Amino acid sequence: MGDKAAEKRDVWQGTLALMVLKTLQAMGPLHGYGIARRIEQTSGDLLAVNYGTLYPALLKLEQEGYISSEWGFSDNNRKAKYYKLTRAGRKQLNKEEREWEQTTAILARFLAPGEERS
Amino acid sequence: MRYLRALITRFAELFRKPRRERELVAEMESHLQMHIDDNLRSGMTPQEARRQALLRLGGIEQTKEIYRDRKSLPIIESLLRDLRYGLRVLRKNPGFTTVAVLTLAIGIGANTAIFSVLESQLWRPLPFPDSERLVDAHVVLRENLRQWGVLSSSVYKTWRERSHSFTNLGAYDYPANRNLTAGGTSERVQVMPVTSSLWDTLEVPLETGRGFLPEEETPGRDRVAILTDALWQTRFASDNSVIGKPIVLDGQPYIVVGVASPGLHFEYIDEPAIFVPLAMEPSEQALRNTYVIARLAPGVSPEQARAELAGILETIPKSGGGQAESTASVTNLRETWTGFAARSLFFFAGAVLLVLLIACVNNAGLLLARGLGRQREFTLRAALGAGRGTLIRQSLVESLILSLAGGAAGTLLGLWGAAAFAAFIPQDTLPRNSHIALDARVLLFALAVSIFSALLTGVVPALLSSRVDLNNALRQGASALSSGRSQNRTRSSLVIIEVALALVLLFGAGLFLRSFVRLEQAPRGFDAPGALSFRVSLRGESYAQPEQQHRYFRSLTDQLGTLPGVQAVTVGTGIPLDGHTLSASLNVAGRPPRRKHGTGVLTYAVAPNFFGFLHMHLLAGRAFAPQDSGTSPRVAIISRNTAHTLFGSEDPLGKVLEFVPDERRGVPAEAPSQIVGVSENAQVFGANEVPFDVIYFPFSQHPSSAADIVISSNLPRGALLGAIRETAYALDKDQPVFDVHTMDDLISSSLGGARFDLLLVACLAIVGLTLVSVGIFGTVAYFVQQRTREFGIRLVLGATPAGILRHALKRSFVMGFVGLLSGVVVSLALGRVLRGVLYLVPGEHTGMLYGVKIYDPLSMSFACILLFAVLTLASYIPAVRAARVEPTVALRYE
Repeated sequence: MGDKAAEKRDVWQGTLALMVLKTLQAMGPLHGYGIARRIEQTSGDLLAVNYGTLYPALLKLEQEGYISSEWGFSDNNRKAKYYKLTRAGRKQLNKEEREWEQTTAILARFLAPGEERS
Repeated sequence: MRYLRALITRFAELFRKPRRERELVAEMESHLQMHIDDNLRSGMTPQEARRQALLRLGGIEQTKEIYRDRKSLPIIESLLRDLRYGLRVLRKNPGFTTVAVLTLAIGIGANTAIFSVLESQLWRPLPFPDSERLVDAHVVLRENLRQWGVLSSSVYKTWRERSHSFTNLGAYDYPANRNLTAGGTSERVQVMPVTSSLWDTLEVPLETGRGFLPEEETPGRDRVAILTDALWQTRFASDNSVIGKPIVLDGQPYIVVGVASPGLHFEYIDEPAIFVPLAMEPSEQALRNTYVIARLAPGVSPEQARAELAGILETIPKSGGGQAESTASVTNLRETWTGFAARSLFFFAGAVLLVLLIACVNNAGLLLARGLGRQREFTLRAALGAGRGTLIRQSLVESLILSLAGGAAGTLLGLWGAAAFAAFIPQDTLPRNSHIALDARVLLFALAVSIFSALLTGVVPALLSSRVDLNNALRQGASALSSGRSQNRTRSSLVIIEVALALVLLFGAGLFLRSFVRLEQAPRGFDAPGALSFRVSLRGESYAQPEQQHRYFRSLTDQLGTLPGVQAVTVGTGIPLDGHTLSASLNVAGRPPRRKHGTGVLTYAVAPNFFGFLHMHLLAGRAFAPQDSGTSPRVAIISRNTAHTLFGSEDPLGKVLEFVPDERRGVPAEAPSQIVGVSENAQVFGANEVPFDVIYFPFSQHPSSAADIVISSNLPRGALLGAIRETAYALDKDQPVFDVHTMDDLISSSLGGARFDLLLVACLAIVGLTLVSVGIFGTVAYFVQQRTREFGIRLVLGATPAGILRHALKRSFVMGFVGLLSGVVVSLALGRVLRGVLYLVPGEHTGMLYGVKIYDPLSMSFACILLFAVLTLASYIPAVRAARVEPTVALRYE
């Protein structure tokens, strides 16, 4: 585990966490597989989520108290661990959404060519 | 906040690993199955569905590992692993572990002991609420700010009325022994005069009853008392009805008005049993010292308070107790009364630190040797992928285990050591009667010292032994793994440091030994082997007049003199070394005064046979004679020091001394006295003192209510004491005999402080020397063992055993020589720094060395020779073993 690899993952994890929170807000309680599928679909299959990134991210969110988990059964009656947003998680999501919007807005100004001249 | 929460969760995970891991496996399994289900639904074959799912999801084991790292705290987990491993390794080497832990236990124990003494004696706040805001307000002489002047009660009153720097001020006088009679029995108890405001200043309210009223602080109306809780319990069975009842102190009735709080302890003065009002008589206002405790108002610094009090002092007219030569001083109460002990305690702390350093260096040597022995293990671990950091961490964890074990053992040892210290140190050397005990601060200190020692012992060996050169190591095999040049150099440096540290300790011990011998042989100025002394302090109205006092003591000495077996009896207001002195200010008649208020001297009033009895040598003139009576011309004998101070080389005989009526010391004007003799200086307070100016008067001309009586006899002590009591009580049963001791006791206890210093430093030096010899033995033995093969080759090639011995010894001699040289340099440098601390400063009583120079060559040579002898012995044994080795054995040695 080199330091650089860990760094890259952390950046990814930052956005992944936001996606997970958003997914749970939109879909309600959901298991890991569902979250992964939903993110892949929403991204238009541009993102591939694997265990190595998803489960540590879920664990971190749970440790931080943004989501909680309990075992339940899926539609096809498979045993699965369901995650759901906590109140702190909703608050955090709002905050992160706002921050993300700001960031993208700022970046957009830099990247949009005509705007600066006007 | 969130981060902390996550951290706690992760920390908790350390203790419940397996369940989580199983859950993750189950969760991923269900994830995989759901993926396969979906793939099947989209029409794949079962094999393809499974393959695709697995491909998408990546390595399960990798995920588990990342998950595991995130789940709990991997650093702590590996530390725990190191810990378990270290414990296993140490258990497998019980010999090494025992020596290392014991060495550290001694070093840490000694430091913990001295720390707990420092903590309880110097640093722990006094037992009053918010006690660090309490200050001692006093007056000091302008010409010497360290010298206290006399603070009259009227100055205290003015300060209390006019100052604004304090929330309150209270005054007290030192507790004095008085006879308490209550319920038919009597005993001597400590009675302390205080002002009522003292309770409010200390913020320790009374348990029950009331404080003193302002009008009770005047003479004649002061017959009220407050009991301490302890006396109330033991003597009055905590009976509330005692309040309002009378008790009798020295024959006078006092009404009990209150009981002090059980939490009231002063610690820095003798704990009193009874409080009485500090009566301030207007006519007596300037005569005695008042001790003032004040509580600083919030936000006021001691310096601001001092400036205010000094300003008030200057406005007080001389008639009102003002003193032009004095100014005010405001100092932290705790520091004021404990500071005198700080110097010697810090000195001991320094000596003890040396022992710890030796212990650490010793253990560093041991660890280094063991690190070499474990080279094969380290190589193996490095080859299996352990980084250098991992190896260093492992070594450090092991030395931490050793240090913590040593620290735990040392703390126990330290408790015992502190108790022994408190038991052996002469009374009155410690400033407070606070408990020396194991508390949180001491434990924290022991922990800090343990970690400090772990780093001190562990870092160098860890760095050196973790430097594994895989290429070389694997190619050459274990037997070629002899220590490299840098390791040898490190080991030599460790020995050199040890020798140098030990030399400092030994040299110090030598200085203290020589100083003690000098002190023992120092001229005391008197000699009365076997004589017994006791004291009588006359109380009551029948002894108010000087003639009555004189008559009592004359009758007592006359009657004692006629007892069978008694050879001689004498009397004096004090005797050498017991510290009972009076004082006076004098001028030589017909000369301008040397000082504005006369020359201050210590005075004794003694019987005519006093000088002969105590063998106090008269240098000129005559001793007192029975003819020097109350009605004859006043005479005096001065000490050699006084003669020098007042007259230089002039002949003092026949000169006349005039008393300065000294309000400050309570000496009224008296008739001038003519000098009739000069006596040799005699010690007044202790062995290590700069001679005082002393003047003797005939007891008949200056009788006193308190005096020491000295008896020489051939009776056994018990019988003599019985006879003395019988005689004294037959004369007056109300006057107790106390302070009984032999002159030899006095001399012995005057050396007590020096004896204790010597004992302590000698103990430390012996411990240090033992550690060093163990260290040197270990190092040389290891060095020889390492080169067994080389010695074998040398022997085969024709070297003689004697040559091998020389070769092996040469190295330790070189190390020893360098070590001794550095030790000498360090000792001399330390001596220069500590010179001011170790010697007596005139006017103070805290000198530790007497009559030896700080670079005393005898002590230095003694230390060098002793250390060199130990060094030779410690290296000789292993060197001889090396020389006796059989070449065939040596060559096969691995």
